[in-house]
Formats: sequence, structure tokens, C-alpha cells
Amino acid sequence: MAIKANPTTRFKVEDQDPYFDYPADTEIGYHGGRLGFANGGSSSFDVAETPILGPVFRFFGNTQLGPIHMGVMGWIAFICGGAAIFFWLFGMAMLVSYDPIKFAKNFFVLHVDPAPAHYMLWGFGGGLEEGGLWMITTILLTTGLYAWWFRIWSRARANGLKPYLAYGFASALFLYTAIYWVRPMLIGNWSEAPPHGFKGVLEWTNNISFRYGNFYYNPFHMQVIFCALGSTLLLSAHGATIWATAKYGSHEELEEIHEPGTGTERAQMFWRWTIGFNANAYSIHVWAFGFAFLFGVVGCIGITLTGTFIPDWPQWAQDASIIPPQNPPPNVYVPNPITNM
Amino acid sequence: MSELAHYVEVELVPGSRESRVPGGRTLKEIEADLKKPGKTLLGAITQAPGESDPFDVWLGPFYMGVFGLVGFVAAVCGAIFYLYEVVFHGPYLSYFSNFIAGSIIPPPPEAGLSFMVGPGNQGFVWLWVVGFATTAFICWLLREVEICNKLEIGYHVPISFGVVVSAWMTLQIFRPVLMGRWAEGFTLGVLPHLDWINLFGYRYFNFYFNIFHCLGITGLWTSTMVLGLHGSAILSGSQSRYGDEIDRVHQFWYDIVGYSIGELGIHKLATLLAAAAVLVSNLCVLFSGWIVMDWVSFWNWWVDMPLWVGM
Repeated sequence: MAIKANPTTRFKVEDQDPYFDYPADTEIGYHGGRLGFANGGSSSFDVAETPILGPVFRFFGNTQLGPIHMGVMGWIAFICGGAAIFFWLFGMAMLVSYDPIKFAKNFFVLHVDPAPAHYMLWGFGGGLEEGGLWMITTILLTTGLYAWWFRIWSRARANGLKPYLAYGFASALFLYTAIYWVRPMLIGNWSEAPPHGFKGVLEWTNNISFRYGNFYYNPFHMQVIFCALGSTLLLSAHGATIWATAKYGSHEELEEIHEPGTGTERAQMFWRWTIGFNANAYSIHVWAFGFAFLFGVVGCIGITLTGTFIPDWPQWAQDASIIPPQNPPPNVYVPNPITNM
Repeated sequence: MSELAHYVEVELVPGSRESRVPGGRTLKEIEADLKKPGKTLLGAITQAPGESDPFDVWLGPFYMGVFGLVGFVAAVCGAIFYLYEVVFHGPYLSYFSNFIAGSIIPPPPEAGLSFMVGPGNQGFVWLWVVGFATTAFICWLLREVEICNKLEIGYHVPISFGVVVSAWMTLQIFRPVLMGRWAEGFTLGVLPHLDWINLFGYRYFNFYFNIFHCLGITGLWTSTMVLGLHGSAILSGSQSRYGDEIDRVHQFWYDIVGYSIGELGIHKLATLLAAAAVLVSNLCVLFSGWIVMDWVSFWNWWVDMPLWVGM
């Protein structure tokens, strides 16, 4: 064996898989299925082995809170996320002079706004009340989300899994980053970003649709809706199929993918006889992952184009001849292509 | 296998796990086992099992059945009406543009719930298309039930499909009947139905403040997230080259969120979550216009709560 197995490793892979081959892992850039360090993948940095920071980082990097693995990125994610929530609530409380009853009454209405439009790209605006708190909250939130991404990526690696969940979460981060960072910077105005608060987010969603015509004519918005509804349909169809055939063991998917039994066969026959074709136990999850992934990617494209390259979606749809012109053209005689009359 | 794997115990039909074949069997082998006549609803009614049902046949990969036949006829008839109105009499010369832009408008409010709308009048095509489509959807559902019977599996897919049909029937039948006019149904057509949704939301001031709309959107987004979570978990697990990938996937979820729902549990959650999202969305449309006229002032009950009513 090229790499010595560590006793702290949860899985003694070399004992279980006679075909396991360590050098193949180094070929694709990973060390025994683990990322970047030799101690079994419990931390994100080799700094855990250093003399001074080592004990500190081993404290943070090797702890688990209950069943939850923390790790450096976990601590960053939880602390930044908690701080973001604190500053958000602090900003909302400031608006009602820290009155707890008013705060509770207006909890769903209050929101922390980004800097007003005249500050342009100066994100901290005129101080805490005028965009500063929004910027602090957003920076913390973004740091937390990106740390969370790195956390699920490194946890997948540490468990010897390909980080598909991180790929999928990256799609959601594309959408988030486009909305909160890329688009405001492309337009050159932080006031284009959504505020933090329940009603504020709903109103931003409502208003961005109006400000750029009507989002129903945004073809990427159409595709996002298609992906959301299609994902719900796929989730329902897949879940129901497996639930219906679970008494034949089809829910043990990781076995059934490699060795389809009668449960998977019945599930496949159901869809073949119903819609004429069927996925298999593996490919249905490619469909699933693809639909969920496209949701974020297509949404990212649609929101980034809005107000930067496309100022008016109904006008775009009219130019593309997918809606009738709002002002009818002069009444000229046009023959019907079928009857030629 | 450790205690983590398959910790959701299910009563399996004997021999299920033993039926597993590495690499799987071919369609021909599978269908030789499972493709058998009988167990149809028509056969049960006529009390003569087996080949007595003349519709109990497969057309290529498709199972027909009596509901397949009726549903197919209904779908073709509906499609003829739809294409006639939308594609051949649309606003543009190009058939493609017409397919996107053409519309089928429901009867005017004066017509009420009447079916007496003559050819050429507004709503004639709408009534026929909605009738044929509803027939086709219900036939599709019953055909799925027959296929479930043949395969001896649960009715989960037809029930889930019934939830989707309930959304269509809520929009086009139940709510128009409750409101007393077919005009409440939505305009058919690729882009015109988007216009209808847009106008419908603002007709009751703002659908973003409709609590059931909020919950429905949350359900759709959560469904998308759960689909991504499950798809990614199985893709990474199935691409693992170790023997204990189930343990690894469980351990991954324990590490991330401290909990792993399990192999059967995720599919139960998926089915119920997607159904809940659609059923809650039904309510957001169903309540608008007669129980709640205005989703902004709907929230007055919150503002007028005794604790803070004077503040």
C-alpha cells in the first residue's frame, strides 16, 4: 500500500474492497480519497500538524458537536451565519428603537436596506442605518455560505465520496452571488440588491419584475419555473415509485444500481408501460441532480441579464415574436397562409 | 455491513434481495417475467379474468387498457381543438410563434356556468379543451392504477399524479364552479397563461402576501433542494469504489447536519413534500376572490392582535 492507513480513519477501505487501488486516487489528485492531508481528513488544513497552532486547530478542526462535524470551515460557517443573523435582527430592532413589542409586531415587515441609490457603489452608504448594516450582514452571510460550501465539499472528500452535493450547492451559490453581488456591481448600484427581511425580499421580487417590464416574459425566468415545477414533479414521481416498490427492496438504491432486483425492475416497467421509456436506478438520479442544478444556473443567467443587458423583457419578447405587439400595427391586409385569403 | 446500513427496516417480499442480478437483466428478460394479461378493472367488472379484456394489450412499450384508449382519444380530440385555435388561428403567420403566443379564452362572465356556448363564440374551444384534458388526465391516472395492479406495487404514483390533477381541477373546475362562472378559469396557451397568472396575482392586490402562495413557493424550492440533495447523495454513493458506500453516505449526512433520514425515508419525504407543495398551492388559488378579496389587508388580523393593537 502506498499510503499507510491511519487508525483514526473511520473506514478501513483496504480491508473491504479487494480491488481498491491507492495510486489511482493520487492520479486524480486525491490522497486516498481524502483531501490534502494525511491524518484521515478531519480538518481542512495541514496546520493541524503544526506545533503552536496545532493544538488550537485540532480543538476546532477535530471536534464534533453531537453528531455534527465542525471543522474549521464549520466554525466559520456557523459563526458568520450567526453573526449575520445577529446584525440583521440588530438592524431591524434599530428601526423600532429596540422596542420588543414593536419589533415582534413588525417582525415580518421590517427590513435592513442596502445603501440608497445615490451612494452608487459605495456599499457602506451613509453609516450603519444607510446601508452599512446591510453590507456587514451580507458580507457575513456570504462568508458563511461559502464556508458551508467548502465544508460539504471537504466532508464528502473526507468520507471518500465525490462531492456532488457541493456541485449542487454551487449552483445555488451562483444564483445567490448573482443576485447579491454580481448584478449590483454590474449595474453599479447597491440599491439594486435585495434587502434583508421577509417583506423586503418579497417586495424586491415583486418590484424587480416591474422595473424591468415583466419577469414572466424573461425566458430564463420561464426556465427557472420549469426547473422548479419539473423538480417537484421528478421528486414526486421518483419518491412515489420507490415508495411503491419498497417492499421489493428498490429503496436500497446503492445496491440496486449495481445489481437491479425485482423492485427496480418493476419500477422500470411501470414507467416503460406508462410513458414508453424508463430511466434506471442510476440515471434517474442524474435527471434529478441535473434538474435541481439547472434551477440555480438558469436563474443566475436570468437575473444577471436583467437591467444590465436587457432593460425591458416584454419588449424583448415582442422583438422575439413570442407575444403580440402591445400597440397593434396598422390594419394591413395579410393573407392567411393556409387559406391564402 | 455495519449497523448504519439499512437501519430503516421494511418488511420485504421474500426473495426480493435474492432476485438481484449484477448488471441487471435485459428488457426482454424482465418483460417475459412481468408482462402478463389480467388484473384489469374491466376484467374485474366482467368477472371473466385473463384474456377476456380486449384492451389488455401493449402497443410497443406502452400499455393500453381501456383507459389508455379512452384517454388517447380524449387527448387527440383536445389537441385538435387546441391546435386549431392556437396554431392555425393565432395572432402571427408563423406556426411556431402562434404556438407560443396563441390563446384560448374561457367563456365571458355573462355565460356563467353554462355549457351553451356555440361554435365561434368566446369560450367554445376552451370548454371542449378543458373537458377533453380533464378526461385524459383522469384516464391516465386510472391507467396507472391498472399498471400498478399488474406489477403488484403500491398506488403511490397514481395518488401523486392525482395531486397534480387536483391542481388542474382546482383552477379550471372547482374554483370556477364555486365562483359561479367559467370565466374564472385560466386562459390556455404558452404565454397567455403567464399573462393570466400575472393578472390573477394583482387582481387580489399582491399574491406575494398570500400566505398559501408563500408556502407553495417554499414547497417548490424545498422540493428542488431535496431533489438535489437526494440526487447528489446517490450519485456520489454509487460512484464510490469502496464496499461500504452506504455507511459513507450516512456518515456524510451525520457530519453535515447531524442526521441521516435513510434510504426509504428520503423517498417518503420526497413524495409527501412534493404533494404538500402542490396541495398548499391549490389553497392559494382556491381561497382568492370569494373568501379573501385582498391579500394585503388579509394581514389585518396580525396588526389588530390584542397584544399590540394600539401601538
